[in-house]
Formats: sequence, C-alpha cells, structure tokens
Amino acid sequence: MCVGVPMQLVEINYPSGVAEAKGVTRSIGLQLIAEDSLKIGDHVIVHVGFAIEKVDKQRADEIWEALEEVLRMMDEEDSSA
Amino acid sequence: MIKTQDIINHIRSLVPGDRKVRIMNVCGSHEHTIAFSGMRSLMPEHIELIPGPGCPVCVCPESDIIHAITLSRRADVILVTYGDMLRVPSKDGSIRAQGRNYKMITSPSEAIRIATANPEKKIVFFSIGFETTTAPTAAILETGVPDNLYILSSHRLTPTIMEVLVKDAEIGIDGFIAPGHVSAIVGSNAWNVFSEIYGIPTVVAGFAADNLMLGIAEILGQLKNGKIRTGNVYAGVVRPEGNIQAQNIMAKFFEVADVNWRGIGYIPESGLELRDEYSARDARKVFGLKEIKEEKIPGCICGKVILGKAYPTDCKLFKRACTPKSPAGPCMVSMEGSCNIWYKTN
Ligand code: SF4
Ligand code: SF4
Repeated sequence: MCVGVPMQLVEINYPSGVAEAKGVTRSIGLQLIAEDSLKIGDHVIVHVGFAIEKVDKQRADEIWEALEEVLRMMDEEDSSA
Repeated sequence: MIKTQDIINHIRSLVPGDRKVRIMNVCGSHEHTIAFSGMRSLMPEHIELIPGPGCPVCVCPESDIIHAITLSRRADVILVTYGDMLRVPSKDGSIRAQGRNYKMITSPSEAIRIATANPEKKIVFFSIGFETTTAPTAAILETGVPDNLYILSSHRLTPTIMEVLVKDAEIGIDGFIAPGHVSAIVGSNAWNVFSEIYGIPTVVAGFAADNLMLGIAEILGQLKNGKIRTGNVYAGVVRPEGNIQAQNIMAKFFEVADVNWRGIGYIPESGLELRDEYSARDARKVFGLKEIKEEKIPGCICGKVILGKAYPTDCKLFKRACTPKSPAGPCMVSMEGSCNIWYKTN
C-alpha cells in the first residue's frame, strides 16, 4: 500500500492521466501536481494511483532498480524459506 | 556511482568508539530494505538500526477496525479499503473473517468507481495511512465524489509521532532516517524541528540500500562534527518545502485531531479527520460512530515494537502463535509491519 513506483506520463487529461511503467499502463490522478508543470513524457512517483511528485528520469530509473532489488531479495527469501 | 563497500568503510570511520548510536527509521520500505539486505549485520557493532512506526496498518486503532466490520455488515453499505486492512485482527475478528459487504481497493479512485456503479448503496471508504495516502484521498475529494461515498478517516501524521519518540528518553534516539515519499509531500523542512530543537540529525533517504547507507553515513558525520541539521540524500524527489499543492489540498479537507494509535494510546494532534464543512462525507458523523475501548491482545507487544522499545524477536508469540498467515497482532499483517518483515528475515 505504501510503496511508490515511478511511472512515465503518456497521456494527460487533467486532473487525470495515463502513465506507463515496465509495459504496464494505468490511469492515474494528477490533482496533487500543478497542471502547468506537467507534460507528456514526465516521470512521476505514483502512490495508490496518484502522482505525488515529479522526478527526473535518472531518479526514476534508480527507484526502479531499488524496487527490483527489493523484489529479488524477497523472492530469494521465499524460495529459501 | 559510489560503491557500497566505500560507504560501509566510510560509516566505519565515523563510528564513535565510546557509545552506541541508535538510528531509527520510520518507514516500512526502509525497514524492508534494511532487513532484506542484511544491512544490520554490515553495520559496526556500535550502531543500532531500529524500526519505528513506519507502517500505518499497525497503528490503526482497533476501534476503527471494529467500526469497519460493523458497517460492512449493514445491508445498505459496501466497505472499501486497502488489502492489508482486511486482515488486521481485532477483538471482533478481522474485516475479512467477520465482515460481510466489503471490497479491497488499491486506489481511492476505485472507491469512486464502486460508488458510481452501486448508486443504491452507501460506500464507506476506510481510508488509512500517512501523508502518502492522505493526499490521494484528498485528491478525490478535490475533484468531487459521488453523494453515496463516505470517508472513514484513520490518517496519521508522521512528524507528530516522531516528536513523541524523540521526547521518550527510554528509546534514546540519536538520529532519524526520514521517509522518502512522506518527505516528498511534507518537505524536508518538516524535520527541521528535530535538529533545531532536539539536536537530532534527521536525514531524508530513499529506500535503495545504497541511498539508505548514505543517509546513515550523513547522520554519523553530523554527530561527529556536531553540525546537526536536516539532511537529504534523496534530492530530486524531495524538496525543502515539499509538494505545496498536495499540502493545500490536504489542508482543505482535513484538520488535525487528537487520535488514538493502536498499542500506544492517545496522541494530541497526531491524526487527520475531515473538516466540519465536509461532515456529510464523514462516516464517523453520518453513521454516529463512537470510540470503542481498545482491548489488549494478550502477549502482543506491538506497541513497544512500534516505539522502538522492543524488537519483534522479543515477543513470545513471534513465529509461534503469530505468523503472517495467522497474525495475532497488527504488526504481523502488512508487508511493511516490523514483525512481518522480521518473520521473513530472522
Ligand atoms: S509511503 Fe513513505 S513512509 Fe510509507 S513505506 Fe512508502 S516511503 Fe515509507
Ligand atoms: S509478533 Fe505478533 S503478537 Fe508479537 S508483537 Fe508482533 S504482531 Fe504482536
């Protein structure tokens, strides 16, 4: 519930939009970010379906790397348990 | 890119030889990374990494869970909430075991969809969490929700609980790792009180292992040179002032209230309820919900675990009567609960 994932905006119909990450697209809420600061291609961190902050691509990639690392660690625990 | 080994060496060089340093994280994701990466065993002996109140599921009052169960048993209600909440134990069981009309959602916008699809029902959104979930709930209110949607707000404020922890000498916190995404909303300035008033270094970090360790190194560096301030190794995500638009929208709908934390008790000005102007949306008012006295779960020491006064392994029920499959206490339920994380890594 608490995990935020970076996604890239592919469509804006303020106050909602469509964002993509790892081949998955979902519609998200954009109310928490000023309309005039958003453009297609921006990376945002999404918590429970809402963009809470913009980030640059480098940060977005880093967060994904960290997420994948955590998932990998959890898988290892599960399979060794 | 700084190498992990370099950061660890750096941390070792900063450790004070004569005393323990207790660094608390207040984020389920941080504890996750620390536990799963084995970071505790990489730390020099004098450094203790303690998990704090990072999981909103664990601290949600039993009273609200009972209300949620009761509401879901009404024929005219559909209760919707995040998945973890369905499994939290109470003296009346969990929502999943004892509730009737309930649905799991992963986003507040799903609550709107369910309300629109079921105009003859009253949809109660049991909305819980820290700032990262409060802001999205405020966002749907800002855009406008159907008349048959009501909010049962069990939102909690991270900075307030941290201040309670700091004042408790028994815990003895020397530094805080502040939660990354909560900070994105409230801003790193929200933590200035800790350095300025209490002299406790507080550093915002993301949840990647390297980034967390950078945060730990910064705390140790500040303790060593005595220049205590708010640090931020998660720049690019977190700004000093935070997300003002999100703060404004939250403030429009929610007001600060004195609320109960499960296993801890009442803490003044530590939670959020809907403002009076929005009473018509407030499930507490519409359904006349009164606080129910909390019952202690025999043997469960969640309250102490949340406050950093005990580790999950100190609990007699841990891994015996309490497991993720059948949690006896709230901290075992969510993937972000300390007992749940420790179950998988200890
Ligand atoms: S929402 Fe924030 S505090 Fe909660 S787990 Fe995620 S990063 Fe940590
Ligand atoms: S192990 Fe279970 S019973 Fe013990 S403190 Fe954790 S949640 Fe409570």
